[in-house]
Amino acid sequence: MNYLKSHITLILALVSILLSIFLFRIFNKILFLYEKNIVNNYSIVIVSTSKIENLNYPEIEKITPIDIKDQIQRLQQKYKNIDFSKIDLPYFYKLTLKKLPSPKKLEKLKERLKQKAFVKRILTHSSSQTKIYNLLMLLKILTKMFMVIVGVLGFLLIVKQLEVWKLSHSERMYIMELFGAPFWLKGAALFKIAILDSLIAIILTVSFVYFITNSFLFTKIISDLNIILQIDYIKEFLLLLVISFSISLISSIIVVVSKK
Amino acid sequence: MNLVKANNLTLAYNSGVIIKESTFTINEGDFVFLTGVSGSGKTTLIKAMYGEIKPKGLLQIGPYNMGTISKSKLTKLRRHMGIVFQDYKLIPEWNILRNVMLPLFIKGYDKKIAEQKALEVLKKVKLSHKIDKFPAELSGGEQQRAAIARAIIHSPAIILADEPISGLDEYSASLVMDLFIMANKMGITVLIASHSLPGDFNISYKHLHIEKGKIYELS
Ligand SMILES: Nc1ncnc2c1ncn2[C@@H]1O[C@H](COP(=O)(O)OP(=O)(O)OP(=O)(O)O)[C@@H](O)[C@H]1O
Ligand SMILES: [Mg+2]
Repeated sequence: MNYLKSHITLILALVSILLSIFLFRIFNKILFLYEKNIVNNYSIVIVSTSKIENLNYPEIEKITPIDIKDQIQRLQQKYKNIDFSKIDLPYFYKLTLKKLPSPKKLEKLKERLKQKAFVKRILTHSSSQTKIYNLLMLLKILTKMFMVIVGVLGFLLIVKQLEVWKLSHSERMYIMELFGAPFWLKGAALFKIAILDSLIAIILTVSFVYFITNSFLFTKIISDLNIILQIDYIKEFLLLLVISFSISLISSIIVVVSKK
Repeated sequence: MNLVKANNLTLAYNSGVIIKESTFTINEGDFVFLTGVSGSGKTTLIKAMYGEIKPKGLLQIGPYNMGTISKSKLTKLRRHMGIVFQDYKLIPEWNILRNVMLPLFIKGYDKKIAEQKALEVLKKVKLSHKIDKFPAELSGGEQQRAAIARAIIHSPAIILADEPISGLDEYSASLVMDLFIMANKMGITVLIASHSLPGDFNISYKHLHIEKGKIYELS
């Protein structure tokens, strides 16, 4: 009970910070994959009077000609009296973009394409595109806000923990100092707590995230989004380890260094 | 050889000067009594000797000038001191055994050896039966003896004892004084602050007396 009391604040603070970082990273990954998905499926079709080899626009990933032979053949069968091979047909191209463009950027791109003499028409599916884009942006902002709020809360908890530590450890550290104890010995008890609490916090966080990401609901959402999410748990664990140890050890060092 | 050298030493708190322009020396191996009435500045002088307050004028301990000593040097110097604080300053969350072992921890002793030494010293101050008690569970005199055990366990170069027998009965007091005499015979410099000189004391000693802010070397 006593143990729990003296450790709960730091563990809670660390878990909230680590969890927000971990979830933020996973969410960002999902968004990234999903955005890529949309971009791949999303395209702009341009109708051109001449052949286009290359369009050197930075936002364009690739430009692929659309084969219209089949359609022509079908038309030919329907309208036997027209000789389609004699008609000067325009060229059709599909533009694939690197990123999901904002509506503004999309407009700009269209403007620029229109200025090209050979471009006759540009076809986009703007309205649905805008909606998806806005939704993604909203989600991004919300996760960032969530992370900031949780981070601030965690920080406040840690500040509170520092006060408690100062109160309960300063007398011992002062006496040890009077006998010439080196820095690490003065702080040894605190450093031990910091390391132990960090480990507990990391294990809690990683197991919690593992549990969530393997839950039925989560896996269903991911498959509905049509993406393949892979989480490198070892890498994430190491990252959290570094963050957690840094936070808790720096906190304990602050207590040892600061005079009461 | 001078172990402590004070020249025109002045010690002051924000509230005022306690000791002014005093000059004295303590030699290696001396047994020193520091006397003076309550509030005369005995504890203040001891504080200056372990670097808790900065002196004006010269206060030299071993090779170190206490006015300019760096923090890391001070840490080193303190490892050669055995201090008995007037208010004992035992670590409340440690038991007596662990408290007494502190100077050995700091010197990097192996835990087993430190424990063995602590048991020996605690036996000498007649506290063997209280080793696993916490300071708050001990009487004032018992805490004082634990503090004395902690001050001598690591054979320091100098023992600074601030009224180490004030709370003890006659038997315990003579027991403690015998310990200090024994330490002194081993070459340790001993300084004992007290209100007055002990009645019967049969080894030669140096007497420093504080009166009205001045420290006098009486013998
Ligand atoms: N931290 C402090 N800040 C300001 N004044 C102090 C402080 N500590 C002690 N003093 C003052 O310094 C004077 C000397 O105090 P000190 O404790 O050195 O006396 P002492 O000789 O040890 O007395 P006692 O025999 O009662 O222990 C006293 O008048 C006291 O009020
Ligand atoms: Mg005093």
